[in-house]
Order: sequence, then C-alpha cells, then structure tokens
Amino acid sequence: MIRELSRFRLAWDGLILLLIIVSCILVPYQFAFCQDSALNGFQVIYLIDLFFLIDIAFNCFTSFRQHGVEVLDRRVCTKRYSRKMMGIDLLASLPLDLLAWVLIGNGQVLGGSLVLALRLLRLLRIVRFFVILRRWEAFSWSNPGFLRVVKFLISILILMHWLACAWFFTAFAVAFPADSWAVRAGIENAGPIAQYIRSLYWTITTMTTVGYGDITPARPTEYVFASMIMLMGASIYAFIIGSVASLLSSIQAAKNTHWERIDSVTEFLRQRHVPADINSKVRNYYEYVWDHSRGVDKNDLLNDLPGPLRLEILLHLAKKILDTVPLFKYCSPVLRNELLISLESRTYSPDSYIVREGESGKAIYFITEGSVEITSEEGEKSWGTMSEGDYFGYMSVVLGERRTASLKTLGYCDLLILKVDDFDRIKSEFPEFNDVLKRVSGERTQQLSELIMEGIIL
Amino acid sequence: MDITVKESGDVKIVVFEGNLDTNTAPAAEDEINGLIDGGTLKLLVNFEKLDYISSAGLRVLLATAKKLKPSSGDLKICCLNATVQEVFDISGFASILSVSSTEEEALGSF
Repeated sequence: MIRELSRFRLAWDGLILLLIIVSCILVPYQFAFCQDSALNGFQVIYLIDLFFLIDIAFNCFTSFRQHGVEVLDRRVCTKRYSRKMMGIDLLASLPLDLLAWVLIGNGQVLGGSLVLALRLLRLLRIVRFFVILRRWEAFSWSNPGFLRVVKFLISILILMHWLACAWFFTAFAVAFPADSWAVRAGIENAGPIAQYIRSLYWTITTMTTVGYGDITPARPTEYVFASMIMLMGASIYAFIIGSVASLLSSIQAAKNTHWERIDSVTEFLRQRHVPADINSKVRNYYEYVWDHSRGVDKNDLLNDLPGPLRLEILLHLAKKILDTVPLFKYCSPVLRNELLISLESRTYSPDSYIVREGESGKAIYFITEGSVEITSEEGEKSWGTMSEGDYFGYMSVVLGERRTASLKTLGYCDLLILKVDDFDRIKSEFPEFNDVLKRVSGERTQQLSELIMEGIIL
Repeated sequence: MDITVKESGDVKIVVFEGNLDTNTAPAAEDEINGLIDGGTLKLLVNFEKLDYISSAGLRVLLATAKKLKPSSGDLKICCLNATVQEVFDISGFASILSVSSTEEEALGSF
C-alpha cells in the first residue's frame, strides 16, 4: 500500500501535478493552433498518458482518511477510488484519440480535427489537480495560505489559456472568413506562436476589463463568445481582487493581530509615562514571543485541545526535559503523562526574577530554553547558572521552606512549571511518585548538592 | 524535645528525643553550636529516639555540616526511624549527609 502522506506519494503527486499543467497547456494549444498535423506532438502526449495510467494504478493502492483514521485496506481503497475518481481519470488518460485515428481515421468535428478534439478529454485531468492540492493541505509542512495562492494562480492562468485557444478557434473553425477577428487582425497566416500571443492578449484585456478595442468581435459567434468572456471576466476579476486581498490578509492576519496588540500595549505604557526602557523591554518580549510561537499562546492552545492531543504535543515540546530530567526519566508512562498534563508553559524576558529569595516554594521549574543565574536578592552574590534541561524549586516545595536565593534570567527563558498544588495532588494520587522522588533526590547533580550544603534552597 | 550528649573517644554523640521541628530546632542548634565552639570536630547525631524531623531540623543539620567543613570536622547521622528516613530520602539529604543504620557503624566511619 502507498501511504497517502508518504514521501513517495508526495514526490509522485508533484510530478503528476506538473504533467497536468503541461497537458492543460499543450492539448488545447494543439487543438486550436496546430490543426494541420493531427498527430503533432503525439510522443509527448502519449508519454504523459503513460504516467497517468501508472497514476491510476497507484491511486488504487493509495490509503485515504476516513473520520480521521487512515484506511490501509487495499480493497476498500480501490473500491473507493473506482467509485469516485477512476472513471474521470480513465477518460482523461486512455488514448481514445489514437483509437479513433486507427479505427476511423482523422475526421472533422466542429470544423476541427476529430483526433485533436478527442485529445481535449485530457483536460479532465484538472480535477486531479484539485484532488492533489487538497491532499497536500493535510501535510503539516504545507502553508495552507500559500497553497491557496498557488491553486488560485494556476487555475486562472490555465483558464485564460483555454479561453485564448477557444477564441482563436472561433475564427479557425469557420476557415477565417474576411470579417473574422483573426483576419481583421491580420494573423490568419501568421505562425501559431504569433496567433497564440494575439489571442491571449485579447483574452487578458477582455477578462481584466481593460478592453483596448484593437481586437473586436464582428461575427455572431464572436459576439456570443466575447460576451461570455466579458461576463466571466467581470466575475473573475472581482473574484481575483477579492480573493487576493483575502489571501494576503489571511496570511498576515496572525502577525497583524500580534502587532496591533504590541502597539496598543506600548501606547498604553507611553500614556501612563512608563519609562522608555521598560516600554522597550515589553516590546522586545512580544517580538520574542512572535519569533518563538508566532503569536500563539501555548497554554491557550493546549487547553483548547482534547487531552490525548494535548499530551502528544506536550510530549514533543518537553522532549528534552523528558530525556534529561530524572523526575520524568524514572516515572511510569502514566505518571509521566499526569505530570506533563499539569505543566504550564511560561516565557520570561531577560533580567527577570523567576523566583525571589524569601518567597515560599510554590512551584518546580524546568528550563526548556535559555539560562538563569542563582543570585542573592540584591545581586551581590552569585552561585552559578542553570540552563536547558536543569530544574529548580524542588527543595523549597518538598521541604515547605522559603527560598534562600533568587533566580534571574540571563536572556529570554522558556520554562515549564509544575505548581505545588499539582505536585501534592499527584503525590497523593500516585504512590509510586514518592519512590521516584527518592530516586531523583539520590541522583541530585553535584551543583544542586553543593548549593544545599551552602544552605541554598531553591 | 530532649537532647543528650555522650562521648565515644573524640566523637561527641548527640541523641535527640521527640520532634525536631521549628519549635525545637533553635535549642538543638544552640546545643550543637556549643559543642563545635568547644572544639568538637567529630559529631555524631543519633536519631534513634527522634519521632519526626521538619525542614527546620534539616536546616540545623545543614548548618552544622557547613560549620564543620572549614575546620575539617565531620558530621555523621545514624539510626533513622522509617518516618525520618522518608524525609531524608525525599529531600535528598540521605545522599548529601553521611547516614548510617547503627551507632557502631557510624562511629567506625569517622
């Protein structure tokens, strides 16, 4: 089975996406501009067909998600694919044009080649384009806003290309009469590239409602076609402007909200005549929070999530301390999970006191990023530093003692905090926690032992 | 709380009886300080008859160990009952201070 979100499927989808775009450009271009040679470019077309036939086979073996669960049963996957997309994919991939050419030769349809007209069925591949992009939206690395922009731009460009081809075909299908737009524009005998450029130019000027008026319809079919494009163009133009504005604002939404908050906080502090250096510290703090969490409050986010998901995220966020801090290392998975769920995340700005000398022990702190200095309240004495993976606050909580030193951040510092209430609750609910604490205390680091001997209780 | 002091060679043995908590810790500290100030370098604290020790009591032991360290003195502790042993284990004092199960063993470790 091929996993829906596997690297292989991702790479294959990327290739198919590229081939869809090539098909959507090449096939209508051939139909409208290269009618003189019905099998022109057939090698490329049939080579692409081969890839799409392989893709149909892969799709039968690709897993899918149902109610959030990945279905890996091959028969179920094949059944679902054959019921939903296989018909369209087969119609778009089987070389029916070749079959028609072999069986009945190259007839005429709507004034164009039958073989080339049958090739137009390949345009149905555009459906797969949207299916693939929808699958990519499930990837954690993909930016949904960026994908939407890509989807939107490619769709518009392909639509313009199709309309440009169709516009030229209105003249070609009736063998370029003297009053057709192509003859009046003098391109009936020009090369296909020049003809295409003029058609595309007219399509873009019409769709964007610019309409210079240098190429105009004269025949009834051209009027009908031009009117349709104008209607479509006006709607699409409005849609483009609205969508681009909405996309840009949605991509920036989180950042804008965050900066609005910073601005209002700094404005508030300025009005209250708070010194500029404090104001600057507050601003720097918010910038740090943005750099590290893109404005998302970790605690709010975690509280929003159901327990099991919250736990999975916490297991990842606290990975370093889980591997290094003995308190977690010696716990059973159930106890460790209970401790993790009870942790609260907090960020401290530089030169902030996390705990102060004389305070009672209200929590145990685990450093996940940054470093702190153990210092006296006035800052005249220092007993060293602690950094990522270290923890403090345990002794004052266990002994119920007041802290005999302060801890000051040396830069921005991210901590996980276990409050004393949670500590006591877990201790009473999990008898094994006592054994863990004994083991942890027995393996205290040299630094912590020396601090205790110095009478430093943190 | 009752405090008894006895001697075994150059080792002073302090026996605590009752509870060593916030109320009784100052008296215990005074007693031990008196011994250190009197020139005692080897001190054995016997907790055989001690029912309970609080953080204040642990602090007295810490202060004593700290005071003896510069003069190359030594503090040993022995005969902890289950409750006191639990406090020592959880706080990590069992690994910081030298703890023996019997008085003889502690005396032999000086």
